[in-house]
Amino acid sequence: MSTTRRFDPILLLAAPAVAYLTVVYGLPLLFLLGRSLLGTGGFSAFAGFFADPFSWIVLGNTVRSAALVTLVCLVIGYPTALVLARAGGFVQAAILVAIILPLSVGVVVKAFAWQIVLRRDGVVSQIFTGLGIWDEPQRLLFTETGLVIGAANIFVPFMILPIYSVLKLVDPRLGEAAATLGASPVYRFFKVAIPLSLPGIITGIAFVFSMAASMYVIPSLVIGDRFQTLATLTGRSFLFMRNEQLGSTTAVVLLALTIGIVVASSRLSRRLGGAA
Amino acid sequence: MNPAFLDITGASRSFGAATVLDGVDLAVGKGEFISLLGPSGCGKTTLLRIVAGLMTPDTGRVVLDTHEITRKPPHRRDIGVVFQNYALFPHLSVAENVAFGLKARGAARETIALTVARYLGLVQMTAFADRSIKALSGGQQQRVAVARALAVGPKLMLLDEPFSALDRKLREAMQIDLKRILREVGTTAIFVTHDQDEALTMSDRIAVMYRGRIEQLDTPTQIYHRPATPFALDFVGLSSRLAGTVVASHERMLTIETAAGRLCAPGQFIPGSPVVIGIRPERVTVGAGGENSIEATLIDIVFQGARVQLHFEAPAGGRLLVEAHEAPSGAAPGASLPLSWRQADTLVYPAPAEGGAA
Repeated sequence: MSTTRRFDPILLLAAPAVAYLTVVYGLPLLFLLGRSLLGTGGFSAFAGFFADPFSWIVLGNTVRSAALVTLVCLVIGYPTALVLARAGGFVQAAILVAIILPLSVGVVVKAFAWQIVLRRDGVVSQIFTGLGIWDEPQRLLFTETGLVIGAANIFVPFMILPIYSVLKLVDPRLGEAAATLGASPVYRFFKVAIPLSLPGIITGIAFVFSMAASMYVIPSLVIGDRFQTLATLTGRSFLFMRNEQLGSTTAVVLLALTIGIVVASSRLSRRLGGAA
Repeated sequence: MNPAFLDITGASRSFGAATVLDGVDLAVGKGEFISLLGPSGCGKTTLLRIVAGLMTPDTGRVVLDTHEITRKPPHRRDIGVVFQNYALFPHLSVAENVAFGLKARGAARETIALTVARYLGLVQMTAFADRSIKALSGGQQQRVAVARALAVGPKLMLLDEPFSALDRKLREAMQIDLKRILREVGTTAIFVTHDQDEALTMSDRIAVMYRGRIEQLDTPTQIYHRPATPFALDFVGLSSRLAGTVVASHERMLTIETAAGRLCAPGQFIPGSPVVIGIRPERVTVGAGGENSIEATLIDIVFQGARVQLHFEAPAGGRLLVEAHEAPSGAAPGASLPLSWRQADTLVYPAPAEGGAA
């Protein structure tokens, strides 16, 4: 083997994708970044953004709601992925269809559906008052709880699928081996299943967090203008306030946040993958 | 006799319409090394999983050390298992794998460290304690799997074809090693294998399994020399068969009419019964004058190093195999030679029912 690195012609296969992303994604992103920097000169737009207390509320809203959505997706998604990985034949096919088919329904349609479900006279409220858990009908629509419930519903497949794809490859005999060594089901779950599926969990968290941090349609329809996130603020800045400077600044902050999460998680998962 | 340490009674298990285990009884004494020997699908792995608690029998009972454990979950059974593919934890180091069971039982740190060191030493893997599992060869992984199962001090060790992934040379070395280790620890062990040599080499007793039943449970010597059923005769070692009919029975000595002539054998059958005669190839000698003797045509000579296999064709089509140290001088395929063997080496079984496989 020669030590000098030679050009591998197979890399040319990536050329169309690289060209496409450069023109329609990379360049506009550069313009956006440039606008956030150039408008008033240097980083003053960012300095202004971070000096404004309202910006911190928006940033807090974004991170908190995305983190809650991610947590709910993880708690609901992990057991589902476990069942999916263990199931076979018809059960597995049925669960996969149930997870993947809703992805074909538009986000706008789902958000409107959640508006109906979360209303004061909606299904949730009726069930809870009917069971006597709530004294009187309550409205979850236009609350952060409603937002998290609705968003988790939409993003949960992106948590289940990566965890499932990792769990499927875990040898079921490892669980049996742990059992014969005297490990209780709970011990087995935390010391065998969780560590072995960690790469899937990290990928799922990165997917859901970055999508939930940048969601625009769902908060707009489920909670409205009172609750601003980086994504909705970016939209408002461009569409209603005509403040391109603010819009591009918030967009860049959001981009930095999600890129940070994705890079950190892929690093973490690679390190764990190397150690495992 | 003492009550058995492990006592399985009437264990059955079906999957859908297929009965994999059909009312198996097995009693294992303390410190004994038992092999479950049989072809794939005979139920040996199912029986092992039932004992381990990884599967519950449809009917039957499993008693270990006077406690019934039929429906006890595996983590409360105190039974170590070495899996066929070893099932080592890929996210843990060698030492952490061996420590796993002790940690799961909440042992003290010093105890864990001492026990891990002791068992890694026993399997000669001390130098590999901090290695990743992925960096080990098949034989090394097997040693770790054995150490991991033994470290918790199980009452019973179950080994599911632990040598099947190893090459022949390594396999033989590991068999002797494993036998030494288990003897040193003094564990009772059940060993599943489809390899008759492995079973003969390692076991105190062998249970030959076929179609969900135990065909014969006996010492390796008895299994080889006195196979109880035609299946045991076929599955363990080489043998030849001749079909015949009992013509006389006198004081436990049978006279049997075959196409090759009259033969005598010990046994009890009603005259007129159709039977199958089995003979081990090393018990037959070329030459006249034995208690049982027939003429057969030599059809092939196969040189096998230490031994020579002589293939004969008996009158009316039966095949006879003879193993000798060397081919008889001047013998060439086509020659008609006398073959003889002792009456005591002549095994007699009832002929299989019409259409039934033997």
